[in-house]
Amino acid sequence: MPTISSIAYKNLRRKKLRSILTLFGIALSTWVLVSLLGFNSGYEQSMDKDIDNLGFQVLLTAKGCPYEAATLMLQGGAGLRYLPETVLDSLRANPEVDQLTPMLMQTSFDPNQGESGGVIAYLGVDPTTYPKMKSYLTFEQGGWFTEENAMEAVIGYEAAELEQREVGDLILIPDKEIEVKVVGVLKRSGTQDDGTIFMPYKSLQTLFGQEGKITSVGIKIHKDVDVSAYEEKLYALQDVQVVSMAQVKTTISNLVSTAKVMVMSIAIIAILISMVGVMNTILMSVLERYQEIGIMKSMGATTFHIFRLIWLETLIICFIGGILGALMALGLSSTTDALVRYILPYAPTGSLIKIDAMLVLKSIGIITLIGIFSGIYPAYRAASIKPIEAIKSSEGEI
Amino acid sequence: MKYFKLLLLSTFILVPLLLNAAVGCDLNDPDKDVKRLFPESTGYKAVYKSIKQVGGETLLHKIETRLGDKFQGLYETMDVPYTVYIIYQDKTPVGYIHGVNQKGKYGGIQVFLSLDNNLKIKNLYFQKMSTRQGEKLKSPAFTNQFKGLTLSDMAEYDVKTGKVNGKPGDIKSPAAAVDADFVSIIRAVKKNLILMDEFF
Repeated sequence: MPTISSIAYKNLRRKKLRSILTLFGIALSTWVLVSLLGFNSGYEQSMDKDIDNLGFQVLLTAKGCPYEAATLMLQGGAGLRYLPETVLDSLRANPEVDQLTPMLMQTSFDPNQGESGGVIAYLGVDPTTYPKMKSYLTFEQGGWFTEENAMEAVIGYEAAELEQREVGDLILIPDKEIEVKVVGVLKRSGTQDDGTIFMPYKSLQTLFGQEGKITSVGIKIHKDVDVSAYEEKLYALQDVQVVSMAQVKTTISNLVSTAKVMVMSIAIIAILISMVGVMNTILMSVLERYQEIGIMKSMGATTFHIFRLIWLETLIICFIGGILGALMALGLSSTTDALVRYILPYAPTGSLIKIDAMLVLKSIGIITLIGIFSGIYPAYRAASIKPIEAIKSSEGEI
Repeated sequence: MKYFKLLLLSTFILVPLLLNAAVGCDLNDPDKDVKRLFPESTGYKAVYKSIKQVGGETLLHKIETRLGDKFQGLYETMDVPYTVYIIYQDKTPVGYIHGVNQKGKYGGIQVFLSLDNNLKIKNLYFQKMSTRQGEKLKSPAFTNQFKGLTLSDMAEYDVKTGKVNGKPGDIKSPAAAVDADFVSIIRAVKKNLILMDEFF
């Protein structure tokens, strides 16, 4: 005795091409849905990771002090302002602070750069705290400094390439005539660290006569702390400026939100199209089987039996299409990632599309639900067929 | 505030992107530098070549043999992009400017040669060098020694010692204190000329 589900399955197989095309349409919609839902969470995660990779959420500098080497270069190496190193003690007393790292930027004029000389910037860092904050920095060669006041340098990959330096080589601080040994060459990180020459900040203090002074402090705050409120608190310190990565994140989020709305609209349109497509396919199938359904009813099939049969056909198409689409989304996630990257104004590093089991199940559930709703009308039309009228009619009349 | 945000964005997004580009050896200010090295020029065109693109491993081995030394270290690889400036007077090519990065004692030395169409050196220019005796190496007394030389003049130099058959060659080091950088410069000039000979 055939069951309703086996009949539904056989019916779908009778018109293979149409069923396959409908399945394909559903699968495409599911792919879009899974990918976009995956993008929503993946993008946030990747951007948070990028911000975390910056090492600190807040950078405290002396008021007016350039806090990036690029800005310092634009100013010809001038304009450095200092904070007393004792500021670290005040900051450590803040319960919001998770970790701190002091930094000292210094410049040296090299008369042998270009036609009229150029400025070289050195970033003094604390070998104990800085590597922990910038855990994403890994080494092509060597490692961090051996002592906190060693005459040693770690060089970002681009800087090392330009200077042709490797571990064991020397660099010269031009206007100090001091030789510094290279102990590490960093791998490319895609950040400004690639172009930086790092030295222990204590050594830079001694070399440049800036004992007890620093130019900035990187502050990593506890995750549950309100960054904006903490920034306000920092402004209670005298003559400081606060640069917060939260500002960067907000600006980028604003830029991307428009693109996100557009992408989600496309997803909704794709789902609506697939819904109409399913409804049309099943309705066509009902029309083609008008007489057949009439005969089934005259042989004892109830209205409910017919309703279930047609509804089940819709569900089978949507469920299988949903699974195929989810598999496509998983298999093509890197292609989708590349496509989204191409569209977006800014994309963080790391995977933009995060697809997990829960997301896959949720998406298949949504598509199946769409199937349930799309199937109601065709199933109702089929269930409403009157046997005598159907048998008397020629095919296609309804 | 809007401009501050834009500045932050450029710092955190654009700078890393710029830094991500491979380091070749380009003139810092081509318009000005070309005019200075080739006063008679009226224009130039920059073309990009790499050993990998022009001839791959085979070419690399050939260049190493002609140089008399292996390409060394992390950065002297066959995929390094070389920028060659083809110099024009009106519409006629009158020469080239080409630079190479060379490892020096304290840092990279960028050695640019301006060459005529027969690859004869017209001028030598250090765009960048880290050394204690930069003045001596940049002085005309030293750089003028290279003027008029061709690859055949440099061919006999041993790039590991800066000498010819164990004896000082025609090109003299300006001081014993810069001998290591002198050897690096000899290697850079010879490598520069070999690359140009292979590329054109």
